[in-house]
Amino acid sequence: MSVDSILASIQGSAIAEWMRDTNPAMQVVESVHVLAAVMVLGTVLIADARLLGVADARRAFTRIGREVLPLTWSAFALAVVTGSLMFTTSAPTYFYNTAFQIKALALLGAGLNMALFQLFAARGVAAWDLGKAPRAARIAGLLSLALWAAVVLLGRWIGFTKGYDFTIPPGVELEFPIR
Amino acid sequence: MRAFAEWLYGTPLSVAIHSTFWLIRLLQATHLLTAGVAVGSGVMIALRAIGWQRADEPFVAVWKRFAPWLAWSLAVMAATGAAQTFGDPVREFTATSYWLKIVLLLICALGTMLLARTARRAPQATEFSFAAKVAAAALIVGWLALPLLGRMIGYDLAIWGSWSLRT
Repeated sequence: MSVDSILASIQGSAIAEWMRDTNPAMQVVESVHVLAAVMVLGTVLIADARLLGVADARRAFTRIGREVLPLTWSAFALAVVTGSLMFTTSAPTYFYNTAFQIKALALLGAGLNMALFQLFAARGVAAWDLGKAPRAARIAGLLSLALWAAVVLLGRWIGFTKGYDFTIPPGVELEFPIR
Repeated sequence: MRAFAEWLYGTPLSVAIHSTFWLIRLLQATHLLTAGVAVGSGVMIALRAIGWQRADEPFVAVWKRFAPWLAWSLAVMAATGAAQTFGDPVREFTATSYWLKIVLLLICALGTMLLARTARRAPQATEFSFAAKVAAAALIVGWLALPLLGRMIGYDLAIWGSWSLRT
């Protein structure tokens, strides 16, 4: 089974059809997706600002994590559900869209950054929980902020670039009236 | 309103904005990023008022932490939002979502400032009154509705149907 046939079957699924044909399903889902993305960015920023030493310098990082991460994960789950629903409507178009591909890479990078942070920097958190984060943790905070901002911006960019095919099909001659 | 918007669309400032390809995109991107800061900060302040976030800290401390971020992000959002409105006034002024967003933004900003004023009046109080907590919960709904309405501006007719000002 090729990638294209998988994409075609996603686009032909009942849920995709419902998303395309039910007014205003797509518009509402897209708006909720924007809200979820905004919330992910807003809550991630709180933890990253602490890592970078920009805010909450005297608040334990682990405490901030416990407070903010449930909000981040809830918003992220909502973004994944709404994003997947949007993807089904034009799966091949999204899949081959450059902005979408870079967004997927940025998402992967954000996840990898989080995993590396948990594996290395967060292991010794007891030593810096109430103080300045070590360089590795600060770099992870900066990367996280940059990657999540990129995810949000690229998401917006998909809307500017998706679905426009200006190629003139072979055999078609266009005539423009001369005024 | 539509006539005014169409007149505004022809002014040099509006022409300069909507005829510069990258400018609207840059404005939208900045608006979106700062929305994250504004909504995140507004929601955190309201959650503290309810007692669901940072209950170990006095409200004033949470206010001092998030209010500057909220103020700066709202200022940037207002500037980029105003520029977008000047750039495409017909699209904005004829959208029900746009006017709802403006009204809701004012309510959220004023409501958040009122929470801070209530806390300053009783600095020893550790908890807000039930009415203030209900107001804070309403503010959370309001902050979350702002990006939702922002995106809905582009889909006003589909979302609002006959309630859309575009009809």
